Amino acid sequence: MNQAEKTEQFVQQLAKHQNRLYGYIFSLLGDHARTADVVQETNLVLWRKIDEYQPTKPFIPWAFAIAHFQVLAHLRDAKRDRVLLDEDLAETLSREAQQKVNSLDSVTESLRNCLQKLAPHSSELIQKRYFQGNSILQIAKELDRSVGSLKVALLRIRRQLAECVQQNLAEEGES
Amino acid sequence: MKDEIEELERLLLAWEEGELDQAGINRFREILRTSERAREYYLQMQMLEVALKLEGEAGLGEMFQSDKPSVSLSEQNSFFPLKQGFTWKSLASLAAILLLGLLLGRLFYLETSEGDPELERLSTLENYPQQASQAGSLEATSQGVALITRLVEVEWADGQHPHEVGDALLPGILALDSGLVQIEFFCGATVILDGPAELELQTFELARLASGRLRAQVPPAARGFTIDVEEMKIVDLGTEFGLAVSQEGTDVQVFEGEVELHPASASKKILNAGEAMVRNAQGELSPSTASSDTFIDIATLEQRDQQQQEARFQSWQRWSQAFRRDPRLIAYYAFDEARQWERKLTSSVEPLDHNLDGAIVGADHTPGRWEAKGALEFKQPGDRVRVQIPGEYASLTFLCWAKIDSLDRWYNSLFLTDSYEQGEPHWQILDTGQLFFSVRASEKADKGPAHRPILSPPFWDRSLSGKWIHLATTYDVKSQYVTHYLNGEQLHRERLPDPQLVPITRFGAATLGNWSSPMRPDAHFAIRNLNGSIDEFAILSEAIAADEIQEIYFTGKP
Repeated sequence: MNQAEKTEQFVQQLAKHQNRLYGYIFSLLGDHARTADVVQETNLVLWRKIDEYQPTKPFIPWAFAIAHFQVLAHLRDAKRDRVLLDEDLAETLSREAQQKVNSLDSVTESLRNCLQKLAPHSSELIQKRYFQGNSILQIAKELDRSVGSLKVALLRIRRQLAECVQQNLAEEGES
Repeated sequence: MKDEIEELERLLLAWEEGELDQAGINRFREILRTSERAREYYLQMQMLEVALKLEGEAGLGEMFQSDKPSVSLSEQNSFFPLKQGFTWKSLASLAAILLLGLLLGRLFYLETSEGDPELERLSTLENYPQQASQAGSLEATSQGVALITRLVEVEWADGQHPHEVGDALLPGILALDSGLVQIEFFCGATVILDGPAELELQTFELARLASGRLRAQVPPAARGFTIDVEEMKIVDLGTEFGLAVSQEGTDVQVFEGEVELHPASASKKILNAGEAMVRNAQGELSPSTASSDTFIDIATLEQRDQQQQEARFQSWQRWSQAFRRDPRLIAYYAFDEARQWERKLTSSVEPLDHNLDGAIVGADHTPGRWEAKGALEFKQPGDRVRVQIPGEYASLTFLCWAKIDSLDRWYNSLFLTDSYEQGEPHWQILDTGQLFFSVRASEKADKGPAHRPILSPPFWDRSLSGKWIHLATTYDVKSQYVTHYLNGEQLHRERLPDPQLVPITRFGAATLGNWSSPMRPDAHFAIRNLNGSIDEFAILSEAIAADEIQEIYFTGKP
């Protein structure tokens, strides 16, 4: 394989696995803005280390290893800011998060089905919260509902979605 | 067990809403640490959260108008508009776009996080505690209880961080061996500390004088400002007073208004203007008379400050006069032309060559590091200084005194060549606060990466806003190193790999404080104006040594 082909494969792999990298990093940071930053850092480090890339070996463990390192560095550097997990917990959760994120595509697919099953007002709430990025406070104002009741509703819908997704995944595993 | 999961859910939702305080975070971590089921559940919920986000961006959410800009995954993925089958040529340009795209993103601590111990040692990240806050979506915060507003002939005590004028002071000890420091507490009280002295700042209206002399001016708005000394509290009721603490005891003198003394061993005493009280080492109090002259007041400090400024300005002028004849100079602008109407930036290189004079576009004259020194302020997107620098060179050094108000653009220009052809340098600051230096390496865009930008770790944050800083970058063709400096200290050093090293450098038409490249199709990159001022700029035809840069910084320091 010449250099050009190697670069081509590298770029393809990097593109293909953006979502998984995002999912993994988000699991450990729990914050979209920070995750976007760390994904970019990880991309750049991977790009710089393209010489270490071996097309014959799986891309994702290598990328995860670097992402893992970037997350820890980020948690270390962000000490003065509030972060959800500390370095120890991120370490503890890292392996499990990598395994979970491998099924991200199936989760997304089954989520699509599960969203259809939601009651109209639940679906509206998910749309406002996740697809339009509104805060609960904003939604509460818009719908003229109390923040507390919205939180309860949102927690319930999330649990419902999580159960539905888990069930789909389990069925998929059986078939 | 079930309760734990419910609690976790509630805490997670609060976190997502930005409402979780540190106690909540700690509880959240505790649950995760102790329960495997909670960990499993947490990861499951996070996976759902990511899937929801992906789904929202994949189109489901498109029919709804989003009114909140958020970092979108699909945007990131648009660097990869590929699936299969493309040629090397398109790949090469794609790779270049990819690299460019990545660099445009907010990159933090890349160098240090790669774990190179040398870089970790060299970078001075820890001196800039605020930078991390820019990463999050939280509102910018700053810490401090007081500001340093004047320093005259100060020698800091051993181990004391050497503060600059404008620094915010956190609670802690301020110790000086000699000199005068003017401190403005956030409550409004002004204190002049006369060294040797040791003052412990506790809150924005409370400090403890361990030793030394101070004079406090407390306007009515700051009433209640309190200074503790051993075994005694001095509460100011809107006044001006002097305080001296030594081994012999404590001396309080009131010049105006009144203060309350709260000795630990006796009842409260009120001191009026003209009165004084001495407390000896045995704790005995005896009345005395105030003599204002023994404590330096603000007006005297101001006078001494101005004398010091004057002396520093003159010393810089002497240095600058000699520097103008330095044979290594390619270009030098000392900005000593203070005439308001002047639209020409006179070249300071001697012998004089008016072809090197710059043309000022938009930018206004403003005072520089010293009141009597000129500077140019860049504010509007069009503000710039156009220069034309002939010749071909090898190694380079860039030196600049700048005052940055904020980093508004992705790229904030210090000095940019117009067309950015092979061998032409670009020197700028990213919005992340990183110093950026590059020399165009390839001739055409389709021949692999155009250049290798050398980025410092983030050095700039809001605490440097409005302060004069000295920036320097050297490009050494022989050793292949690019080195960045801030205020005479090395920020970052990196070796250029062979293919990205350009042995011959050139400038031609270039711009200070902006970029002039109207011909480029990617016009959305074109606004790179600096939001700030420049009052000295030089380019030398040699990569000068670290100690010389440090000397230049110390000579030019305001």
